[in-house]
Amino acid sequence: MAAVADILENIDSLPALPTSVMRITAMLSDGTSDLGEIENVARNDEALSMAIMRYGNSALYGRSGKVFNLRESIVRLGGKALLKIVLEQKVAKLFDGAGEAYGLQRGDLWRGAVGGAIAAEEIAKKHRFGEADLCFLCGMLRDVGKLAMESHFGTEYMAQVFARMEPGLTFMECEQSAFGTEHAEVGAELALRWGLPERIADAIRYHHEPPAEDPGHDRLFDIVHAADIICLWAGLAIGSDGLQYKLAPHVRKDLGLDRKEAEAEITTTWGRLRELEEMMGTSPAREARA
Amino acid sequence: MGSPAATYTGTEVGDKIVVGVADLAVTGDPSTTLVTYALGSCIGVTLYDPIAKVAGMLHFMLPNSKLNADKAKALPAMFADTGVPMLFKAVYELGAEKRRLIVCAVGGAEVLADDGHFKIGSRNRTFLRKIFWKNNILLSGDDTGGSISRTLSLVTADGTVVVRHKGKERVLWPQ
Repeated sequence: MAAVADILENIDSLPALPTSVMRITAMLSDGTSDLGEIENVARNDEALSMAIMRYGNSALYGRSGKVFNLRESIVRLGGKALLKIVLEQKVAKLFDGAGEAYGLQRGDLWRGAVGGAIAAEEIAKKHRFGEADLCFLCGMLRDVGKLAMESHFGTEYMAQVFARMEPGLTFMECEQSAFGTEHAEVGAELALRWGLPERIADAIRYHHEPPAEDPGHDRLFDIVHAADIICLWAGLAIGSDGLQYKLAPHVRKDLGLDRKEAEAEITTTWGRLRELEEMMGTSPAREARA
Repeated sequence: MGSPAATYTGTEVGDKIVVGVADLAVTGDPSTTLVTYALGSCIGVTLYDPIAKVAGMLHFMLPNSKLNADKAKALPAMFADTGVPMLFKAVYELGAEKRRLIVCAVGGAEVLADDGHFKIGSRNRTFLRKIFWKNNILLSGDDTGGSISRTLSLVTADGTVVVRHKGKERVLWPQ
């Protein structure tokens, strides 16, 4: 059995969470955003500057016929949109090339991360949850534990889980049986090592099994959990783990999630993801893995 | 102006044409293979005419386009009721004939303990079967249900349909 600490020993082989993301996370947590600080981060990162200008000149933010430079784009987009762009650009690097151990195609784990971010934000807005941006961040980071599991176990990871798969068992139960831990717990510990706030780590920890009762119940966890299931239904980041997950009954009830609403969330999430990919020029088609 | 299906091409990756989610592709090129990854509750439909050597694949997400008319207009391959007719028309345009078509369906899985609340995968299966039943189309291969993910490929040279799950391959057609 592998202890979480053993798995995280390999952490040096994973990219660190950039300092800029830490600063942005702090801004999200206390509800403030500093355009000047974001501009400073962007100016030192060519890819990020390009992304901000692509957004700033995108039809998603209204057409004007004018071409906006970096500073104008930053002002035009505003703090919240900028925070998301910086997160997408920076966190994407963590997921770069990951997912093979889960039978995913290159880029799929990242698509699932962005899809989860979008779905969590949409659900939060629909339910007037005041921390939609935090939901976006947690939805994006929810599966970082998969990066650590893949880094530690390599392609042997799924073979060990497959050997314990039985009908009706969740993927988490199979992981627990194989390793004595599972990717959500590992992800939460990874987030803490990165210095992220405990609440964000808990949103990662509980993204498959959110606590129903106080203490421990937090609507943030419910929303991130629901977003994860929406992503599965939208066909995002479905690996060898398939659909071996459960939607917590209390989340279904509390969010009033029925089939019609679920289908609406699926199409909205997928549509927004596609718009984003078209704007960023990132193709959903992936390099085939042998 | 070409048919609406002409806007869908899949994506060429090496000797494969990758069909994404809410996507379809048709081809008469015998050197290629159509493939779609990560079929969960979504369903992949394959068509193959062994005489015309024409192949087509659809990866739809949800059964009924009435859910979102705007989305259906922009992305008809997202829904069974708009994507399936489009797939058939697209293979006919390449010379395929209905009476010769070999039709397979793969996917339609369900999350665990759904307890009948959502049934996203099973509704996809039911809706697809209704469409086929109304149009006198028989399935030659059917690998749907469960809670697993599947990768589906169709070899254009001979129509072989392969389903990959947990790293193992199974030929769905010919049986």
